[in-house]
Amino acid sequence: MFLTRSEYDRGVNTFSPEGRLFQVEYAIEAIKLGSTTVGVCTKEGVVLGVEKRVQSPLLVSSSIEKIMEIDRHLGCAMSGLIADARTMVDHARVTSQNHAFIYDERIKVESATQAVCDLALRFGESVHDEEAMMSRPFGVALLIAGVDENGPQLYHTDPSGTSVRYEAKAVGSGSEAAQSELQDKWHKQMTLKEAHILTLRVLKQVMEEKLDQHNVQLAQVTSDKGFEILDEVRLKALIDEMPV
Amino acid sequence: MNSLTERFATTGYAAELKRAKDVLGEEEDGLDPMWGSQAGFGNLASGVVKFNIPTVPDPSAFLRMHTDDFADPSCRIKIKHGTTTLAFRFQGGVIVAVDSRATAGSYVASGTVKKVIEINPYLLGTMAGGAADCQYWETYLGMQCRLHELRNRERISVAAASKYLSNLVYSYKGMGLSMGTMICGWDKTGPAVFYVDSDGTRLKGDLFSVGSGSTFAYGVLDQGYRWDLTDEEAQELGRRSIYAAGHRDAFSGNTINLFHVKEDGWKFIGNYDVSKMHYDGPDNTGGYAYELRVEGKSSANPPVTQ
Amino acid sequence: MPDGSFAHPQERQFNPYSENGGTILAIAGADFTVVAGDTRQSEGYSIQTRYAPKVFKLTDRAVLAVNGFAADGNMFVKKVKQRLEWYRHAHAKDMPLRAIARLIQTMLYAQRFFPYYVYNILGGIEEDGSGAVYSFDPVGSYEREACRAAGAAQALVQPFLDNQIYFKNQQPPAGSSHPVHLPLPDVLSIVIDSFTGATERHIEVGDGLEIFVILAKGRSTQGFDGRSGVQELSTTPEGDRVFVIRRELKKD
Repeated sequence: MFLTRSEYDRGVNTFSPEGRLFQVEYAIEAIKLGSTTVGVCTKEGVVLGVEKRVQSPLLVSSSIEKIMEIDRHLGCAMSGLIADARTMVDHARVTSQNHAFIYDERIKVESATQAVCDLALRFGESVHDEEAMMSRPFGVALLIAGVDENGPQLYHTDPSGTSVRYEAKAVGSGSEAAQSELQDKWHKQMTLKEAHILTLRVLKQVMEEKLDQHNVQLAQVTSDKGFEILDEVRLKALIDEMPV
Repeated sequence: MNSLTERFATTGYAAELKRAKDVLGEEEDGLDPMWGSQAGFGNLASGVVKFNIPTVPDPSAFLRMHTDDFADPSCRIKIKHGTTTLAFRFQGGVIVAVDSRATAGSYVASGTVKKVIEINPYLLGTMAGGAADCQYWETYLGMQCRLHELRNRERISVAAASKYLSNLVYSYKGMGLSMGTMICGWDKTGPAVFYVDSDGTRLKGDLFSVGSGSTFAYGVLDQGYRWDLTDEEAQELGRRSIYAAGHRDAFSGNTINLFHVKEDGWKFIGNYDVSKMHYDGPDNTGGYAYELRVEGKSSANPPVTQ
Repeated sequence: MPDGSFAHPQERQFNPYSENGGTILAIAGADFTVVAGDTRQSEGYSIQTRYAPKVFKLTDRAVLAVNGFAADGNMFVKKVKQRLEWYRHAHAKDMPLRAIARLIQTMLYAQRFFPYYVYNILGGIEEDGSGAVYSFDPVGSYEREACRAAGAAQALVQPFLDNQIYFKNQQPPAGSSHPVHLPLPDVLSIVIDSFTGATERHIEVGDGLEIFVILAKGRSTQGFDGRSGVQELSTTPEGDRVFVIRRELKKD
């Protein structure tokens, strides 16, 4: 697809004659190298799951952080360049706190997602005295999960700054197989527990290693308890419950 | 090129607009977005709070002329003042007690002010001085504490929170902010109280009282204070001290709000009417008023001789 | 200058403020809120106009009354409305009452070093359907209350409200207690009496009275059906309604 390099490869803000922004498309490709990340939305809450690639037995697996809290009612899982995601998550946290400060209410999931997307295209050359923030697009996709007055919601954002709402979504290296599995198994009446199991099952299918409590991470956002990352004890219990 | 000439032009529409914006103190385009999820973050849009300053040689003198009712009682804009607040550390945590009167000049602007600001579930701030200054900056502090918690996966210490506030108000020194506050909470070091004011003072201590009625509160507080007070004794001491200030200081009174900070966060103990404390006490078993104790023995009301 | 006055240093004070009189008040009920203001605008002892509104509808569930310096007040209301519009576009909903209250605080405080000379009272219906009143000082300190009067006749009206709404210095008849919330007809009577009283005793109050009534969804209009001068301003699909009642006050 991108075998021939053209001169439109270099200018980050230059459209090709066919109307494409190559750098943004390449950034989207970067996500396909990332670890698989899954999000499942139910009426009771949203579940996020990631694969942790523990490349070495000397690596401390708890130091891999791919699911982060944005606010009590908002969580986020990522795939791609994790360092880029940290910038975006911090922006979402600041936006969410600013919103709470100015309006004395929680920011809506959609608005928080939109805030992250506003950042996505702030790359390239600066326009007069307004400083450009970055020299290249972000190379990461986010799954933003949250609960607000419209109930539990799951959003997907990509480097082009597009955000789409999903009932269930997979991103990263195993996303194609994972997404078709989700399409098969997701249904409206799903409970939170079922969503946990589905997330683990989908991850298990696409992971090369054998799934255990050290190489996956699960989090959930519910209306009464907010965002929480499941600890290894709860995770192990869920893994043991998985049908073989 | 066009934009360059426009930017440095001294005539024409663009220059006119720029001048108008300078006069209004409004930010250049791009800093205050009007669209997207950050529309209307106003003076917070750039991440730091920005203020509009009057275009006069001495802005703080301007502000003093129009708002300082101590210097000029006839000034137009009356900012709410007057208070008694106290907080002390003891074996069982921190007691925070305040009155609820706000005065604008000699008018009692409100008798139901919440002078304890709930920064978050384990940090309290008190309000003395400008009501808006305390309310705004302590709410702002709450937001920063939450960000600290998200970024560091750990609650902020009372020392750090109070230092954040003190650095913040110090950056506005001399501009007319007025606040005297106690930041109270419980962290890894145990119960903690810090006094922070708009001059930039920040003190760690066991016991503080701030406001026009503080001298009266200190009188009672110093007499009754011990480290090993029980929870009930400590709460009673806080209540009794604010009562004394409400009774003797005209700028303090109405009701008492009492809070107790323990290891698992703060708890609101109650709201007590100062007049009721005077005659009946907190549990109707006897008022604080000395008139009740000297009945029939004072010069105005001499003992009945048989 | 022709008279050579440059020879001596001159000092001028920058005074961008004036005071335009008038009074506003708001009272919250269980499922309604009443916000009212007179319509006289004066400067010193001369009346500039007999109809200058001081109470403004912000959303279908929020009304703002502004008092103090009219120019600052009108500009402030304009800016609040602009922010409400932006919020609607960004978040696809009307701003809830408590959010408006906090927004007003941050907007007033942004002018901490060059304050708006404005006393604000915000009234309306909260998300939970209860009536609410928020009062502000010029630099943004605010608090939710059951009632509040502000402006020229604040010192005349507030003690009356303390007595009638909070039942201050009243003993309930033996075996009964004071009601927590008053019914709408009683509240309207108290509002009207407050303003006729203030008009009698304060020279800056009078001419006209505008009473905004915000009803929570499902509440009947019982209480002012028969009244004259009632105009309905809006109804939400959920059933929150805003009315204005216009009355005359003495014009001397």
